[in-house]
Amino acid sequence: MKRSLLITADPINETALLAQRNMSPGMGAVVNFLGVVRGEEDGKAISAIDYEAFEKMVTHQFNLLFDEMAKRWPVESVRLIHRIGIVRVNEPSLWVEIAAPHRGEAFAACQWLIDEMKRVVPIWKRPQFK
Amino acid sequence: MFGNNRLTVIMEVSVHFYSYFKDLTGCAQSNQTLPDGSTLGVLHDKLMADFPKLASMKKSTLIAVGVDYQLRDYLLKHGDEVSLFPPVQGG
Repeated sequence: MKRSLLITADPINETALLAQRNMSPGMGAVVNFLGVVRGEEDGKAISAIDYEAFEKMVTHQFNLLFDEMAKRWPVESVRLIHRIGIVRVNEPSLWVEIAAPHRGEAFAACQWLIDEMKRVVPIWKRPQFK
Repeated sequence: MFGNNRLTVIMEVSVHFYSYFKDLTGCAQSNQTLPDGSTLGVLHDKLMADFPKLASMKKSTLIAVGVDYQLRDYLLKHGDEVSLFPPVQGG
C-alpha cells in the first residue's frame, strides 16, 4: 500500500493534491475526506483552532494505523495531511484520500482511519475564542 | 568495606508534557530521578505528587515512552523519554 503523510503548518492545497493523484486501472473508488474547523466550540464562537502535535509520535502512530489498514482492506494508497498551528474557521485541518478497488472498502477504511486517529494520534486543539 | 550499607541505584528519565498538561504543571519538561526498577505507575504517582493538578486527570492521562503507548506496569530504563498528555483531539 502506498502511503503519504504530511504534518504541516501550511494551508492544504486541494487543487494541487487532486492533480497529484496517481492510481492504477484496477482502482474503482476514491474517498476524499476533509475535516474543517467549525465556527464554534462548546457553544462559543471561535475564530480558529491552534493545533499542537507530538510530531515524532504522530508519524509513528499514523504508520501503525496504515499498517493495520492495509491488513484489513485492499487499499492501494492512502494520503493524509494534518495541519498544525493556527487553522481558521472554514479551513480544512485534515485531508484524507483512500483509493481502493470498490467503494465499500474505501469508505470503511477512511471511516476507520479517522476514528482511530481520534483515539491514538497525539494531536490536540486549543480553540481561539472570539 | 561496605558493611551492610545498601547501594540504591538511581536512574533518570525525562518527562514531556503536552497540551493543557503544560498549563497544569507550569512546564513542558521535567527530569525525574527514580530507583532502578521503577515502573511507569511509580513515575506517574511521583509526578502527581510533584504537580498536584495532574491528579484531577489521572484516569484519562495517556502515557507514552518514546513513541509508543505504555501501561503503568512498564519497567522504566535510565534515559527513557516519557510523555504525558490528555486524550487526543486530532481532525
